[in-house]
Amino acid sequence: MSSFSLRIIASDHVFYDGSCEILTVPAHDGPVSILAHHEAMMMATQEGEVRFRPAGSTEWQEAVVGIGIVQVVNNRALMVVDSAERPEEIDVRRAQEALERAEEQMRQKQSLQEFKMSQASMARALSRLKGSRHYQGL
Amino acid sequence: MANAREILSRMNSVRDTRKITNAMYLISSNKLRKSKQMLEDTEPYFYTLQAVIQRILRHIPDIQHPYFSDSRLKNEDEKSRALVVITGDKGLAGAYNHNVLKAAQDWMERGANHHLYVVGELGRQYFAAKHMPVEEQFHYTVQNPTMHRARRISSVLMEDYESGKIDEVWILFTQMVNSLSEEVQLKQLLPLQRESFQNVKIPVSMIQEEIQMVPTPQAVMDHIVPNYVTGFIYGALVESFCSEQNARVMAMKSASDNASALLDELSVQYNRVRQAAITQEITEVVGGAKAQRKKEKIG
Repeated sequence: MSSFSLRIIASDHVFYDGSCEILTVPAHDGPVSILAHHEAMMMATQEGEVRFRPAGSTEWQEAVVGIGIVQVVNNRALMVVDSAERPEEIDVRRAQEALERAEEQMRQKQSLQEFKMSQASMARALSRLKGSRHYQGL
Repeated sequence: MANAREILSRMNSVRDTRKITNAMYLISSNKLRKSKQMLEDTEPYFYTLQAVIQRILRHIPDIQHPYFSDSRLKNEDEKSRALVVITGDKGLAGAYNHNVLKAAQDWMERGANHHLYVVGELGRQYFAAKHMPVEEQFHYTVQNPTMHRARRISSVLMEDYESGKIDEVWILFTQMVNSLSEEVQLKQLLPLQRESFQNVKIPVSMIQEEIQMVPTPQAVMDHIVPNYVTGFIYGALVESFCSEQNARVMAMKSASDNASALLDELSVQYNRVRQAAITQEITEVVGGAKAQRKKEKIG
């Protein structure tokens, strides 16, 4: 299978830099897979799971990511995201606490801006929980 | 010349000050190490994000979008402009804070309608003392930059921008050029400048690729731009934090060095004064004894 180069850059580290055969990202209207020689494209992604298979490997690699951008140009894919974690790295308790905090805030009366903030943090917590549960095989 | 006791008390006070500056030097160099690591981790993100946005701006088809410069048809002097100022929480960091505040002053003189969004305690106090209205303060955000704080700042800005309260968003932060020098940077975050990339010459041989925006350019911009603003603010916070620590390390190091030099000088002076006092005492004793002997001879 032909491969393309992939870089996943999170705000606090470079998550992956290498070649890969297939990449699946969470777009706003559902997951989108990218293969080698994809046409030049720019896409916004939301919180969710990214899966990719490094070149020459049969194992899939997974990451739980925050919102970001995917850019494909000249057979090079570049993904710039808020955060990227391996599912096994996720602190389930922290995510659970963040979810409860967000839920509590949502119940209170708040301004539109506060509402958007807690909505976003709720989405983040949910996607992290989902990612780690997926990893544990639940 | 001052007397010996005065010089001694001066030396003691210099010594005490040196103890403080030295302790601050140690603390901030420790923090600097931490923040340099953070900066190193963030730099790929910060620069890649800017590169991606520039590429989009080069390739964007002609669409009308609120995030673009031609979306608000207003006269220059009618526009209300917002400035995010990132200063430190504390002073004693050399010229770090002054440089930022001076740049903020210069920026404010360029137009009448301005709103300030201040990050950092020192900036807040400065503007309060000058009775300049501050739109929003973000407390304790400089000491430990996190993505969460960047999100808070950017959500306030985006809200004000989208509601039409502000027409332009600028950001003022300090960037580390290398470990010896740092520069105050003034950047315009919103609206995005389409023009600014047109003076880049494109070689004739280069093929201009067409970039598809999925699902629509409009939707891509809707999602990417707020994300870009957050990312930029985060990067700017980290850069500023690192610069502040760096400035403080340098300031405290030179203060400690100065104190040591001053102590050397003072101790030479003290020894001289002490020696002069001893010599004078001996002369007095000898003179007194001689006078006594003369008296005895006569008597």
